[in-house]
Amino acid sequence: MSTDLTEEQKPELETAAHSTGSGLIGRARQTEVWRSVFRHPPLNSPRGRALQSFSNVFLHLYPVKVPVRVLRWRYSLRLGFIAIVLFTVLVVTGVYLMFFYSPTPAAAYVDMVQLKTGIGFGQLVRNVHRWSAHLMVLVVVVHLVRVFYAGAYKRPRQFNWVLGMALLLITLGFSFTGYLLPWDQLSYWAVTVGTNMVNYVPLVGKYVRDILLGGKQISGATLQRFYALHVAILPLSLTLILPVHIWRVRKDGFAVERGSTGALDPKACPGRKASTAALATAAQNGDGDGRRVRLLGVVDRESVTQEEQVTDDTVFAWPHLMVRHVVATLGVCATVLALGVWFQAPLKDIANPNLTPEPAKAPWYFEGLQELLSRFNPLVAGILLPGAAVMSLLALPYIDRNPATEARNRKVAISLFSMFLGLAVVLTVIGFAFRGPGWQWQWPWKHSYIEW
Amino acid sequence: MAMNRRKFFLNGWKAGGALLGVAAAKTSWALLQPLKSLASSGKFKLKDAENYKPGTAEYITAARVWVVNPGDGKLLALSQTCPHLGCRVPFCESSGRFECPCHGSTYNIGGEYIKGPAPRGMDRFPIIQENGGAFVDTTKVVRGPNHGSHVYPSDSKGPSCKEA
Repeated sequence: MSTDLTEEQKPELETAAHSTGSGLIGRARQTEVWRSVFRHPPLNSPRGRALQSFSNVFLHLYPVKVPVRVLRWRYSLRLGFIAIVLFTVLVVTGVYLMFFYSPTPAAAYVDMVQLKTGIGFGQLVRNVHRWSAHLMVLVVVVHLVRVFYAGAYKRPRQFNWVLGMALLLITLGFSFTGYLLPWDQLSYWAVTVGTNMVNYVPLVGKYVRDILLGGKQISGATLQRFYALHVAILPLSLTLILPVHIWRVRKDGFAVERGSTGALDPKACPGRKASTAALATAAQNGDGDGRRVRLLGVVDRESVTQEEQVTDDTVFAWPHLMVRHVVATLGVCATVLALGVWFQAPLKDIANPNLTPEPAKAPWYFEGLQELLSRFNPLVAGILLPGAAVMSLLALPYIDRNPATEARNRKVAISLFSMFLGLAVVLTVIGFAFRGPGWQWQWPWKHSYIEW
Repeated sequence: MAMNRRKFFLNGWKAGGALLGVAAAKTSWALLQPLKSLASSGKFKLKDAENYKPGTAEYITAARVWVVNPGDGKLLALSQTCPHLGCRVPFCESSGRFECPCHGSTYNIGGEYIKGPAPRGMDRFPIIQENGGAFVDTTKVVRGPNHGSHVYPSDSKGPSCKEA
């Protein structure tokens, strides 16, 4: 895929009126107060737009300029960004729910019922929270899969892949701890099954489980611990790691699209400047427009020199990437709102330690694991296999040293990963939809035991 | 290795940092230990032995324990918690076996392993004689018998509860 553009395709900068304006806002922008907050020049010049990014802590996570191909939806499917939107939705709805929830066995379930019957829009907010949580797990996993197939974890982005894995595990932790909070039969037994897997970890398993549960069985102490994890420890961890993950996308340069320039030659693009390969293509096409901005003092000399050798195929992230992100945000919000209106978050009977429901299933993303556990020794199925899977995924960028990004030059990696993915999907679907009481086979169209 | 002033202080900082890390880990670990009072354990009185008919299982809710009479006249107190993944194992009247609803582990009336993914038989608690009565002591868990233990009959009396 070539990256050269015609002049019409290059987005033009807006006129000066946009930034200064003559109305009330325009006058406000000229006051001392406004200028003390937003310290960049008007946005009608490339310099203004660049300095806006540098002088704004939030915009600074974005690159000032991005290659045009990044704007296309199918470049990344916007999955990472969609996950961030879902996380934001979860924080907002989660804080709302915190106003009406106390993590004690006596109160938790009653609070759930109260949300449904006594609090305005309470059930809707809970629905949106639950569906966003499931979607976030799904989107984060698909994000990982897409990054794998694009080969975007390769040098220099190895460590960002590791950070992404950490974020994935935190996301699963979020979902799992949140699963217990309604304190109904579904949550109680799903978490019982889930935490008992920890028992099979050699040596430390029992102690870790005691710490996690605050006892031998799930109790009020467990609820309180899961709540603390869910609303404090995990959000803090995610909020710490997430900006680093986004920031490194900018620092490492955007991944070269598969098939656009072939393999990343380490000599041709040393270190973090992976995008120079794509820019080189643009240079060969004689595609120049002189709109490049020099930002000496921020960008090191080497990369400035490199960028000067080639022609620019980049556009400003603000507004071109930003407006697409706004559209994605609106789309995600509309989706979770529609799900929340149409589908109710489940609430079974109050948790009863003396009655295991049939079937007792873990949350859906662990049902592949549960399916494995029903077939193999727990040490193998519960610990060794998933442990090996997580460890090899974590270490993937350091194991797979092949620099090629196009499929035909990385057949082994793609075949192995596809087999692993296929197995995981099949096991999860079986556990999710095809298992009934006693973990017997059950055709879902005869009687569905699907639980969300 | 020559130790000059800089190296000495640098190592001092490292050692201090490591010490702080260990102290923090130890404190957190101790802090997060389960409270003893929260464990659902203690001594629970049993009825007189003749109330437990051979081949039946009776549940003590407060203790979360099955009291069974496997037929040889000696009562057993079995933990309700499946040694596989912790589901509650109910007694199936029709088959006369314990059948776990989660992953299909099955045990005979004496809590011995018959089939399924469980790593051993059902855990049990000692029954002690005290002040002229029998008590289940749930503070002491006795690990269930290993696979291959056949003290009690494993034949099914009738249809499994899962097929019903």
